[in-house]
Amino acid sequence: MLYVVLFFTFFSLFLYVLLGGADFGAGIVELFSSPENRKLNRETIYKVMGPIWEANHIWLIILIVILWIAFPMYFNIIITYLHIPITLILLGITMRGVAFIFRHYDAVVDESQIWYNRMFRISSLITPVFLGMSFGALVSGRIIVSPGPQHGFAEIFMLPWLNIFTLLTGFFYAALCAFLAATLLIGETEGEARKIYSRKSAIATIVLVILGGLVLLYGFLTDMAFVKDFVENPFSVAAILLSAVLLIPLWRAIRKERRVLARILAGSQILLVIFAAVNTHFPSLIISAEGDVNMLQGIAPEASINILGITLIVGGAIILPGLFHLMKSFNMIKFSIKEESKN
Amino acid sequence: MENIDYARLQMAFTLGFHIIFACIGMVMPFFMIVSHYKWLKTRKPVHLQLTKAWQKGVAIFFVTGAVSGTALSFELGLLWPEFMKHAGPVIGMPFSLEGAAFFVEAIALGFYLYGWNKLPEKFHWFTGVIIGISGVLSGILVVSANAWMNAPSGFDVVNGEFTNIDPVAAFFNAAWFTQALHMTLAAFVATGFAVAGIHAFQIRRNKKPELHKEAFRISIFFGAVAAILQPLSGDLSAKDVAERQPVKLAAMEAHYETEKGAPLYIGGIVDEEEKSVSHKIEIPGALSFLAFGDFDAEVKGLNAFPEDELPPVSIVHYAFQTMVGIGTLLMLSGILFLISLKKKSWRDDRWFWWLFAILSPLGFLALEAGWTVTEVGRQPWIIYEVMRTSEAVTPMPGLQYSFYLYVLVYLSLAITVTWLMKRQIKVLNNSIG
Ligand code: HDD
Ligand code: HEM
Ligand code: HEM
Repeated sequence: MLYVVLFFTFFSLFLYVLLGGADFGAGIVELFSSPENRKLNRETIYKVMGPIWEANHIWLIILIVILWIAFPMYFNIIITYLHIPITLILLGITMRGVAFIFRHYDAVVDESQIWYNRMFRISSLITPVFLGMSFGALVSGRIIVSPGPQHGFAEIFMLPWLNIFTLLTGFFYAALCAFLAATLLIGETEGEARKIYSRKSAIATIVLVILGGLVLLYGFLTDMAFVKDFVENPFSVAAILLSAVLLIPLWRAIRKERRVLARILAGSQILLVIFAAVNTHFPSLIISAEGDVNMLQGIAPEASINILGITLIVGGAIILPGLFHLMKSFNMIKFSIKEESKN
Repeated sequence: MENIDYARLQMAFTLGFHIIFACIGMVMPFFMIVSHYKWLKTRKPVHLQLTKAWQKGVAIFFVTGAVSGTALSFELGLLWPEFMKHAGPVIGMPFSLEGAAFFVEAIALGFYLYGWNKLPEKFHWFTGVIIGISGVLSGILVVSANAWMNAPSGFDVVNGEFTNIDPVAAFFNAAWFTQALHMTLAAFVATGFAVAGIHAFQIRRNKKPELHKEAFRISIFFGAVAAILQPLSGDLSAKDVAERQPVKLAAMEAHYETEKGAPLYIGGIVDEEEKSVSHKIEIPGALSFLAFGDFDAEVKGLNAFPEDELPPVSIVHYAFQTMVGIGTLLMLSGILFLISLKKKSWRDDRWFWWLFAILSPLGFLALEAGWTVTEVGRQPWIIYEVMRTSEAVTPMPGLQYSFYLYVLVYLSLAITVTWLMKRQIKVLNNSIG
């Protein structure tokens, strides 16, 4: 059952990074658009994401619930020492969710829309940056797991997540979100709009590759254990290289308007990036100032893991087909042109 | 104030906030599907109009409920990491099931909101039913996790570690049924009266009376039935508390001395220093009867417990009085409404609509008061007689800032949502048809 739980842990992580990421990214793309494109963007993402955007974010909740039930020690470290960035993430998620619903459900359309839009775009950028910073903090070897009196507030609660490396990972994740969103939206638009998204997607890709390179370079130059291990791990390197190589068929798929293929490729790239990061150090997914923290140490007793595993399997069996059907019904997943013309 | 006090305040504030959105998000779908059903049956445009208006309400409250809930699921860990470390594996089951229920709800909502004219009519309506059912299920599941904090079971404590964990036994703890029943009813009472009150106010102003009367009828019906059942369920809860947490019962009643044939106090001002209650009305033997079903039973007083295991008595007592007072009032109003089904002439009277407009916020007031009884009455324990709240709190200093931040954000949210609802109603009133 532990494997089932682990599978769902990474499965929800993957889906949150992918779907939640595309969702954040849509706001980022909008933020960096000219005024007239913003309007177009707003309508497109409502059409595309509207029915499932709420579901996208539940993956985060599932992930958290799994962590706290099955890996209590591990969760304890994250939640105690990353208190501040997590609070900021929550703030971002709150503002964003609220702004999204306000701008589409307010009965009167007037100048308050300007505020909703602003709030939506800005929180769409800030939230993934803090998410990325938190991920970065976990592996950067600065979290002090058993602080003593010699450590000050900043050392325990600020510096682990607020440094150059985490800033880089933060912006890397934001760029990843923008890339995902732009790629997704290309498939949803025609003509002029499509050109715009193609351009955005290209810019996002370039930024993404540069930031990714910077993360590795900076980590390498500062002797970061995680990055060193990453570079020395053949599977991780292979995965990253493969994801870079996949950019080529991805671009071809986009040009040829093969949306499903493009999405599968974008999805696999995320999968590869996550695999590369996780594989480097699994099961020690936190690298603290005192050394590696093994995720599988101090896990919940078997009875809890078993129940959780069963819940996840049963829940998954109910939810995944429902979610799939929802996406399909509203054209999130287009299997073929034929199906489309049927609708 | 110390760090822990801010942590408690923040928890109380965010939970008190979430519960309002959660209840509305849980109960509104029922109003919506009833109205939707009537539309499918009668094809009267009012019903369609009402369904669509309520649907917007459901969407707005669902999202605010969801974001405040997301914040909460982190907050339990952020504020009480030691609690989560030990309790997570024990009460994780209801939370993971709750996650599944939320998910089903969100999917159904996606179908419902975007399914007009796209899905077959009956199926579309049915997705609305699923929203309602899964919302109630998730409410019941979280409450059973809370009940576990009052009646811990399903584990042993050996040297400070929780062992022999049995998540199923933890879920079906001694308090889960009474609490879940009482809470679900409370959600219907509070939302029913709140929504009915808003429409009663509009009727009184003679805006779109046909539409608002329909809305009033649907919502008050749920509210009235639940309000009549609520005191019965409250009595079950009280008997349960008497059994399980005698010190909480004593605090609820501000009852200091242990005695047989204990009287029930109505009102009263508590003096915690002097350990006495003044200005009260006493009903002899009634407390013994309510708590144990026997006028002569012995009820333990606060003095029978160690000083450092007492909750803040006055808060719990006042909150309890508030809840029971409002509960009685709402029950009577519920009966009044049922009578008005026969005596239709009452409804032409302005006072009838006035009454329900004034009652509008009271259900939620009772709901918050009831939670205060449960949560403050459990102090100083976070897990009753197992872990103290002070042992659970985070080591992170400066919690006042995160408290202020939450107050600021949630208050502005509350103001905005109220303002949005007002705009919805205005648009509804000005629409043609
Ligand atoms: C609309 C709201 C509402 C109304 C009208 C009432 N209650 Fe209540 N009550 C709640 C809303 C509530 C609540 C907020 O939902 C609580 C908090 C925890 C829970 O399960 O329900 C609660 C808790 C609660 C408890 C404590 C349970 C515990 O700590 O485990 C008792 C003893 C009662 N109630 C008793 C009553 C009685 C005798 C009422 C008679 C009129 C009554 N309640 C009306
Ligand atoms: C008595 C207390 C509570 C009740 C009755 C309750 C009920 C609900 C309901 C019905 C919803 C669905 C939202 C909607 O339909 O509008 C919801 C959302 C949520 N609640 Fe609560 N809740 C309570 C307390 C908590 C607590 C303590 C937590 C934290 C662990 C929590 C976590 C959540 C989460 C994560 C969501 C969002 C799920 C989503 O995205 O749909 N709730 N709650
Ligand atoms: C939504 C309705 C709820 C309200 C209004 C509410 C209210 C409160 C209040 C007032 C406190 C502060 C008590 C004090 O420190 O004096 C508190 C604490 C707390 N509540 Fe609740 N509560 C609710 C439901 C829940 C649920 C469903 C859970 C968990 C599953 C929960 C878990 C906690 C925890 C962990 C604390 C902090 C520890 C403590 O003070 O005992 N609450 N809540």
